[in-house]
Amino acid sequence: MNANYQSYETVTQSILGFAAYAREHELQVGVREAQEALTIASLGLMGDKEIFRYALKSVFCSCAENANLFDQLFADYWGLPKASVTSRITMKNQLNAQKQMQRSVVLLGKGENKEGKEEEAKNVSGANAAEQLRKTDFSKLSEMDSEYLEKLATDLWKQMSKRLKKKLKNSTTKGRIDLRQTIRNNIGSGGAMLELKRKYKKPSKNRLIILLDVSGSMDKYSFFLLRFILALRTHFKRIDAYIFSTTLIRITDILHIRELESVLRVLSQHADNWSSGTKIGACLKHFNQQFAKRALSGKNMTIVLSDGLDTGEPEVLATELHKIKLRTRRLIWLNPLKGMPGYQPRTRGMMAALPEIDHFMPAHNVESLLQLETFLSNV
Amino acid sequence: MTKEVSSFIESFDRLGYVVDEELATILFLMTSLQKPLLLEGHPGVGKTEVANILAAHLDTELIRLQCYEGLDVHSAVYEWNYQKQLLSIKIQESNQKTETEKEKHIFGVDFLMPRPLLKAISGSSKSPVLLIDEIDRADEEFEAFLLELLSAYQISIPEFGTIKAAHRPFVILTSNRTRELSDALRRRCLYHWVDYPDLDKELKIVHKHLPDIDQKLAEQIVRTINVLRNKNLEKSPGISETLDWAMSLHALGKKKLDVESFALTQGSVLKSFSDNQKINSEGVSTILEEANG
Repeated sequence: MNANYQSYETVTQSILGFAAYAREHELQVGVREAQEALTIASLGLMGDKEIFRYALKSVFCSCAENANLFDQLFADYWGLPKASVTSRITMKNQLNAQKQMQRSVVLLGKGENKEGKEEEAKNVSGANAAEQLRKTDFSKLSEMDSEYLEKLATDLWKQMSKRLKKKLKNSTTKGRIDLRQTIRNNIGSGGAMLELKRKYKKPSKNRLIILLDVSGSMDKYSFFLLRFILALRTHFKRIDAYIFSTTLIRITDILHIRELESVLRVLSQHADNWSSGTKIGACLKHFNQQFAKRALSGKNMTIVLSDGLDTGEPEVLATELHKIKLRTRRLIWLNPLKGMPGYQPRTRGMMAALPEIDHFMPAHNVESLLQLETFLSNV
Repeated sequence: MTKEVSSFIESFDRLGYVVDEELATILFLMTSLQKPLLLEGHPGVGKTEVANILAAHLDTELIRLQCYEGLDVHSAVYEWNYQKQLLSIKIQESNQKTETEKEKHIFGVDFLMPRPLLKAISGSSKSPVLLIDEIDRADEEFEAFLLELLSAYQISIPEFGTIKAAHRPFVILTSNRTRELSDALRRRCLYHWVDYPDLDKELKIVHKHLPDIDQKLAEQIVRTINVLRNKNLEKSPGISETLDWAMSLHALGKKKLDVESFALTQGSVLKSFSDNQKINSEGVSTILEEANG
């Protein structure tokens, strides 16, 4: 593929060449877009390079994220043949981007121990890779798979949130009959009341409180669990989320940012909180003192995502958890370690917590998180 | 600059809207390709205003559809006038018409109540501008319905038949990105990301709306707004906030933006409790210093 307009003879060819070039670099450019690019040229917008760029951009880019890529491609293709300079810049940018990615990856403890993971990764290639991946432990993913899994997981969780929403809407069939709506709706059948319309009180939406452990021992999971929270966030408007390790931080306000990357950036400002030790009891105490009054009012459900490896006093954990239990309708503890075959909750923290918990469930792969659906549908 | 594009900029300028070269190009393209335009951007950067001005520029009607969760075909496309139909049935009970004639009568044009989308398609004289505002708030089902409309420009009503647009409307969709739109919809549209304007452009906008505002005050306002936008507030101030603020300060006869006048007019810029708290705790004077320094 020629990467510069000068290698083509006619204007039409070079425009089509650009369309192909853009397509090659993963912009969504199909036949229709190429045709429109030709129309743009025939409208006389090629005279001014900037205008030509604006026009093509509106056709070739379908979201804001692609804008930079497009500008780069445009400069490379329609620029003077010293394209090598610009392409080097692109390379550099990419390298930088990669570095940044790695940094956040390291922050979240995903990027270590490559060799070991690649071996594990072999198991999950093949025709039913997606099915396999759903069941793969988050901590045993290779880099490549984790990218794919992120996509898959986000999709699945989104679907789940959507199903939940539907359930909320249609579940109520009781209520008194609304005569006005009934007549209106049955005019088609000549006034015979075939279908009764009912009026019911809107089911009040309950609150979901999530406490996510981001301490060192949870490193391999916290990234995915954060994703999970974000996915829930799109459909549960009343989510209240906190992260904790040695201290507790409320992140509900940060969650309104849509992109995970931005969320991570904001969270990294509290970087000292990530990957440090765990004082679950103290953090829950903090939660009870400062937030619980407001967060746990009304109908609500509380989910704690933690491996229960606590360095604090187990008694504190038990009392604080009990306080939460008194105010919440249902207390669920998700433990990634529970996915390991033969796991027994023998740690001091977990032993202290168990009596207070309503449901103790695993959270080590996509599949296990999807099982939460039954509980969430009651929220 | 291309002739057509600069004429767009001039015309918009006359109508009181500052438009940059990029948006002007795209608007020109949109009118000549007859493709819908999807505008995305933060709230309050003037996305909706684009449609208003475009309608004024083309000297045509603006039809607006505000999307919301649960928006359905009945409130977006058409609805039968049931009361009128019922009355009509009663009135016709005694006359000699056959059943089919009666039925045809009550499902006629007289009984059809067009909603925005049908209105936009059935215009008889001139292409209107159709603004589908905040499409991200509507459900996915509605988005899917729009796909059909935006590619064929026709609407089928089972009892009535298919209505095809005699004059294709110019469609502008806006989105605040509270939800990701489907690729299918994106591909049917031209796309433009509306960003916060730079200092010069915003200053121009302020002057456009308040011609007799003090130059220095206007500059101070725009700079301060810019600082506030970088403060990661819960609700970042948009252009409408800038204008509101300028108007309030202007109405109070202030010539300068200082701590006292800031406190008086804070409500037109910071619109949530936590934002107010955050700025106050950071200190208004430091923010003003940052803006002027």
